[in-house]
Amino acid sequence: MSYYFAIIGTQDNPLFEYEFGTSKQGGDGQARFSEQARHLNQFVLHSSLDIVEEVQWTNGQLYLKVIDKFFNNYISCFMTGGNVKFLLLHQPTATAAGATRNSTSVGANPTSPQTEEAIKNFFNEVYENYIKAIMSPFHKVNMEIRSPVFRQRVAAAGRKYL
Amino acid sequence: MTGSVFGAGGLRQTQQQNQQQQQLSLLDTEAADDPSDPLYLLLRSFVPHVAIHASEDVDALVREKGFVGGLWELLRPFGERVQGKVTVRDSNGAAKAWENFAVRFVRFGEGVEPPEGEKGGVTGNVNGLSEGGKGGREEVIGTVEKVVERHLRFAEEAYSAGAHADEEDVDLDAVDATSPYYALYLRRLLSGIPLACHETFAHPVACVMAISSRNTAPIEALQTLYQETSQGERRLPPWVDQDYLRYYILVHDEENGDIAKSMALFEQMKRNFGLHCHLLRLRSTQSAETDDDSIPLPRSDWMTAAEELADIEESDMREDFEDPTRYIFESDATAIRTFVREMVTQSVIPTMERNVSVWNDQVASRRRGISGRFMSLSKRFTFGSSGRSSSSSGSSSSSNYDVLGFYRADSPEAIMRRLADFAFMLRDWKLAMSTYELLRGDFQNDKAWKYHASANEMAALALLIMPPNMSSKTRIETISQMIEQAFYSYHTRCNSLYGATRCTLLALELLRLRGGAGLDEAVRWDIRVLESRLMGTVGDALLRERMAVYYASKSGTGSQEWGSRRRKSALWSVLGAEAWMAQAKYVQAQKCLNAARRMYALLPGECGVQKFAVASDFLAHLNDQVKGVLRADRGRGAEQAEEEQGEGEVDEESETLGNRRSRRTSLITRVGGGGGLETAPLNNTDPASLPENEGSTFPDDGFG
Repeated sequence: MSYYFAIIGTQDNPLFEYEFGTSKQGGDGQARFSEQARHLNQFVLHSSLDIVEEVQWTNGQLYLKVIDKFFNNYISCFMTGGNVKFLLLHQPTATAAGATRNSTSVGANPTSPQTEEAIKNFFNEVYENYIKAIMSPFHKVNMEIRSPVFRQRVAAAGRKYL
Repeated sequence: MTGSVFGAGGLRQTQQQNQQQQQLSLLDTEAADDPSDPLYLLLRSFVPHVAIHASEDVDALVREKGFVGGLWELLRPFGERVQGKVTVRDSNGAAKAWENFAVRFVRFGEGVEPPEGEKGGVTGNVNGLSEGGKGGREEVIGTVEKVVERHLRFAEEAYSAGAHADEEDVDLDAVDATSPYYALYLRRLLSGIPLACHETFAHPVACVMAISSRNTAPIEALQTLYQETSQGERRLPPWVDQDYLRYYILVHDEENGDIAKSMALFEQMKRNFGLHCHLLRLRSTQSAETDDDSIPLPRSDWMTAAEELADIEESDMREDFEDPTRYIFESDATAIRTFVREMVTQSVIPTMERNVSVWNDQVASRRRGISGRFMSLSKRFTFGSSGRSSSSSGSSSSSNYDVLGFYRADSPEAIMRRLADFAFMLRDWKLAMSTYELLRGDFQNDKAWKYHASANEMAALALLIMPPNMSSKTRIETISQMIEQAFYSYHTRCNSLYGATRCTLLALELLRLRGGAGLDEAVRWDIRVLESRLMGTVGDALLRERMAVYYASKSGTGSQEWGSRRRKSALWSVLGAEAWMAQAKYVQAQKCLNAARRMYALLPGECGVQKFAVASDFLAHLNDQVKGVLRADRGRGAEQAEEEQGEGEVDEESETLGNRRSRRTSLITRVGGGGGLETAPLNNTDPASLPENEGSTFPDDGFG
């Protein structure tokens, strides 16, 4: 299971990007994207903004769950109040999908309630930290978040929930 | 998953628009008249097949006119468009006139595909007919790929040779235009429907038997022809109905024959064989381009992929370039046109209508009634349950599904299938749909999977075409289920890639035309097709390109265009470009990149993926690569042309609206039916064949 997390500003501009792998079930927390998938991830994420823009008006929640699927890539979305989107692309590895049929393991089944819950927790924690990060007096709207502390916090949240 | 949310909850405005559109049968939309649209192709491919069985002397006569393939080759292009309107009555007696009716002329007994479970019993009959039948069918996709690949290669060569016609081919007005190569791909896929047992589209509706005035024993010759079609070696296999219409024609040689004698003979024929006769008067000499009254014989749009490939290869082999266009006399063309029209309107259509009503009364309506339900029930649970236990073999005693793997032509299932297919060809969608619906269940009970797949496929298509009466949501679900079953049966149970591809491609095209939720469904199917790798690399790339078109044709609402799929469309364009690059098809790749760029420019931010570092690097890299290769290809001449273009820019802008469309149609004719590209790449590289470009953009500088 590999994850690609991005915060997208209001102008389709990424404010923050982070790739990581699962830490559950002996995962080492490293993303296992192929070299070719690197750019594809960005394209896919960008393209699912179409769906986000559509779904955000039909759903009152901030957490929109899995909104899009591109072959084996699932995209979960979390809207913030300022129209900044958190997008998480998760890609179940082929073995994980086949071997572990027990739906308790996060990631084996990307649309299972357990996974949804885990991703929700992750998003919430990131949201909290994001609020703190943008409260910095030097932060402007649609400015990239470069804070190393924020990156650490996101990494920690990833380790904790995913 | 992909955004079906909108169809469910969605914005009311779009739904209303959609609903308006959805009240219509798809045939009433403009797509049915656009020659490159898949719907048009669909209508033109599932048409009555007329077999041609000519005597030696007729073929000799036609050969003198320069047609090696005999009468069939001469008649074929005329069957593709029957002159004038053709009136068809549906099962309720309501007449409707169709402008674009067609029949397909085929050689008698060609393209027979034996059923899967063929055993020794029928081989004797089939063997003589099935050259290229068995095993050949699965290669259809491969051949189609090769043909399209050839055309693409010509386009590349044409480009490097200096025809910059398509350089910045921005169809701004038509985002959802069908790519000519995709249309070609579909067309080749649909031409040459095999004479298989599980569908009767390719079964002859009529058989034309021809003799000429040169024949010394005409009536006997006709009888021999008849004998050949009804018994003996060349008889059609037992799953084909033998009661098709026999149509007799006497070809009169205008130059050497005596018309009085021919008339007398024709009278005699009428007496002997009834009304289905025609006297066709042809001149026997070859017509040349220089003759006053000669017209070029249009090339057949529906040649099979294998045929075209052979053609291309042949013209590649030959050193000296020979113009493949054939010419015939105007008078001959008129005679043939009249003949085709007369045959279709006075013989073929009435026969089909009669058959439809007879079968409908005698077979289908019995099944539709209450007793019919019981019949199928009792068949399912055979008394004593012996049938149940042995049903694993698929042939309990009560089942008509032969041990040999097909239904015989006289079994009720086969007749009903024929009824449905006839109704489909006569465009009586409702009857076709309800009959397929009945058959679906039967075939499933009999475990006749190929039949099952085909019935599902056609039911879905008919349901998609006819005007909807259910709410669109349930409709899409029903259709989706049918496609699912057809796909599963074709792909997994029968391993028929051809069937699976045809079924899904057609269905998703029609879904797209239905718009709204159908579009999302189409996209889902598209991904499914890509995932299961039904097609080769060319088809794959074309489908990616097509995907971009699907997404682009989805319109959004409000000033921000919420609900549109521009980013998605651009993504698929990029993927398409990537696939084309891998195959070294740089012109196509550039087209895709241009499409992507256009889509990104339409976005509110107008920046596309620019702010994503890796992605935009990749895009730039792709762009540079394409540009580099194309520039190296074109060499010096192009550099100048580009300068020229800079000067001519203003002209081009002002001409954009008028010019684009004509340019695009010229592209389509070049690829689809036009004489040039089919066999003769050299012909096409000549920019003079696109005169409208020369005037505006490229002044006569000696490079064009």
